[in-house]
Amino acid sequence: MNINTDLKKQNTYDAIVIGSGISGGWAAKELTQKGLKVLMLERGKNIEHIKDYDSAMKAPWEIPYCGELTQEQKRTHPVQTRDYPYQQANESWWVNDLECPYTEDKRFDWYRGFHVGGKSLMWGRQSYRFSDLNFEENIKDGHGNDWPIRYKDIAPWYDYVEKFAGISGQNEGWPLLPDGQFLPPMDMNCVEKSVKERIEKHYNKSRILTIGRTANLTVPHLGRGSCQYRNLCSRGCPFGAYFSTQSSTLPAAMATKKLTVRPYSIVNHIIYDKDTKKAKGVMVIDSETNETMEFYAKIVFVNGSTLGSTFVLLNSTSEAHPNGLGNGSGQLGHNLMDHHFRCGAEGTVQGFEDKYAYGRRANGIYIPRYQNFKDDKRDYLRGFGYQGAASRGHWHKEVAELDFGGDFKEILSRPADSWTMGLGGFGEMLPYYENKVYIDHSKKDKWGQPVLAIDCEYKENEAKMREDMMYDAAEMLEAAGAKNVKAYDNGCYPGMTIHEMGTARMGNNPKESVLNKWNQMHEVSNVFVTDGSCMPSSACQNPSLTYMALTARACDYAVKELKKKNI
Amino acid sequence: MERREALKKIAYLMGGAISATTMGVLFESFTVYNPEQRTTYSFLSTDEEILAEFSEIILPATAKSPGAKAAGVGTFIPLVIRDCYPPNLQEIFKKGFDEMLAKCKTKFNKEFLSLSTEEKNVLMGELKQETIDNNKEPSFFLIARDLTLLGYFSSEIGCTIAREYLPIPGKYDGNADYLPGQKAWAT
Repeated sequence: MNINTDLKKQNTYDAIVIGSGISGGWAAKELTQKGLKVLMLERGKNIEHIKDYDSAMKAPWEIPYCGELTQEQKRTHPVQTRDYPYQQANESWWVNDLECPYTEDKRFDWYRGFHVGGKSLMWGRQSYRFSDLNFEENIKDGHGNDWPIRYKDIAPWYDYVEKFAGISGQNEGWPLLPDGQFLPPMDMNCVEKSVKERIEKHYNKSRILTIGRTANLTVPHLGRGSCQYRNLCSRGCPFGAYFSTQSSTLPAAMATKKLTVRPYSIVNHIIYDKDTKKAKGVMVIDSETNETMEFYAKIVFVNGSTLGSTFVLLNSTSEAHPNGLGNGSGQLGHNLMDHHFRCGAEGTVQGFEDKYAYGRRANGIYIPRYQNFKDDKRDYLRGFGYQGAASRGHWHKEVAELDFGGDFKEILSRPADSWTMGLGGFGEMLPYYENKVYIDHSKKDKWGQPVLAIDCEYKENEAKMREDMMYDAAEMLEAAGAKNVKAYDNGCYPGMTIHEMGTARMGNNPKESVLNKWNQMHEVSNVFVTDGSCMPSSACQNPSLTYMALTARACDYAVKELKKKNI
Repeated sequence: MERREALKKIAYLMGGAISATTMGVLFESFTVYNPEQRTTYSFLSTDEEILAEFSEIILPATAKSPGAKAAGVGTFIPLVIRDCYPPNLQEIFKKGFDEMLAKCKTKFNKEFLSLSTEEKNVLMGELKQETIDNNKEPSFFLIARDLTLLGYFSSEIGCTIAREYLPIPGKYDGNADYLPGQKAWAT
């Protein structure tokens, strides 16, 4: 009948992208720029670049409760309020945990941003390439499956995405941290420079300290403004100075006039066509009206964030795929990883009392991995890197305990006597099959969908690594001349670094993996998964840059295949 | 090795001397919300006046900058206690507040608002000592002092007069000279 045919035609695109975050935005840009008509589905609300960054220009006294969280916020966000990312200044950008529950078989802090842009609005922006060692380590030590690619396959794509996104950094020629296409690096402050010099000398350059590689512009780039050093990135940047869907990939995609963005669109499952053995499209629940509807496309890119994507795949069951779409291997939902952090050391650095930083740098320093490399052998596998910074805060040692009064106020109105330098480790987590997610049908979310259950824990390798993360940091700070060095471990649970990855891993063998070396499903040739869920291992480097590169590479392949009529 | 609370970093940023209790309540909140325990805590306008004067002793006006009263801490404290604090700490605050008011009568034979500045300082000294003697367990003094520091150094006065506020630095210089007596950056 006419109406149905028109509606079907209206709802048909060349490609559907599920999710609009860091990798989804890239898929939309690449596919539209290659000529495809794309529908990008985002389950949350729209957030318009600059216009909707409500708190971006607010002064401290204009933030409700001066930044403190209310009891009501803790009630509706019991998970999001467990750690620092959820702030009064960006509170509406974090999921309402009560509307979107999940099951924790073991504690897993699942941070979610349900809105156009996803976590690309609130992310930490540190951007590091994986190295050849990272791609080889699974096969070398037998944990996880072999990556189906190596550094040489992804290197040109790292070049490609870095050039567009705008990453500032310093090339160092460090084998475990490949160099990149960088904008000028941000400056280290005087204390960091001193610490760098002393550490590198002490360890005979077997360790290096470099400025962080961050997706903040140090010069204007492709029409976006450069960083103004306010360090309020996670409120949204009115200058467009850091990479996000809003500042970068979305405008590029919109300029093609081939992109439709539909917010409030929860993808419930991918529709499988048993005759063509391909995905036909997706079924969507409108999150505002609860209406269901279908959209159709020749290819589907799944970029709903690691666990969001895997949920959709697990929920896409059919006769041919009883355990989830493309899950003939049984690996879907398994091998969940997250980095671990919140341990390191801190100390006082004297001798710089006549120096004070001007501006608030939205970046720190980085010590790339040096463990289990060359002569440095440890009693655990793989390794860790450090993020850190030196600063001169307001801590005053001469202030008496619980002091008050005029003199006290004057002291607190001046900076601290000396600088402090801190190093915080980020450690790799091994892929373990038993760290998994599955669908819990006993609970429902606000829209009547079942929820995800997460069963994941750090194990012995991670625990051993954390000891070194603390002691190495303390040792390095002492070697750099820091005083009162204190090591710490504040405890960490999976989910906290917000680098969760795995559960729909790539691999050459369809019996052991969900995706092939092009991020294409082994069993469903027109479905591509390019967010964190595709990762066979976690390395210790912040992963988002790798998601961008894999996405651009997979889009290039997908469109070529489409043109050859292979999919 | 010492177990250190990550939130001390925020203490560094916010002004140094904030107690673990307040850090726990305000910035780290893996505290389970218990709806049955919810009390509605309301303050009287005289309470706000008292708290304004109380905070003024902690951070008084000096030649260089106005004090906590001018910065609006008197209304800030009740707002935060009401909306951000769990019931058990609200109780401790209220009890300690009432005890302080009673202490003014027994010690000075006056209402709090009638005390001289010197008398208020003596009172504050005693509350401080009590808290120290009690191992810095949560107390009215501890909470009120913490919120005074937080409220003051987040206020317009605290940020722009006591300290220096730079909304858009425009650049980063990690090697800038520190001039003697130079104020701290507000953020």
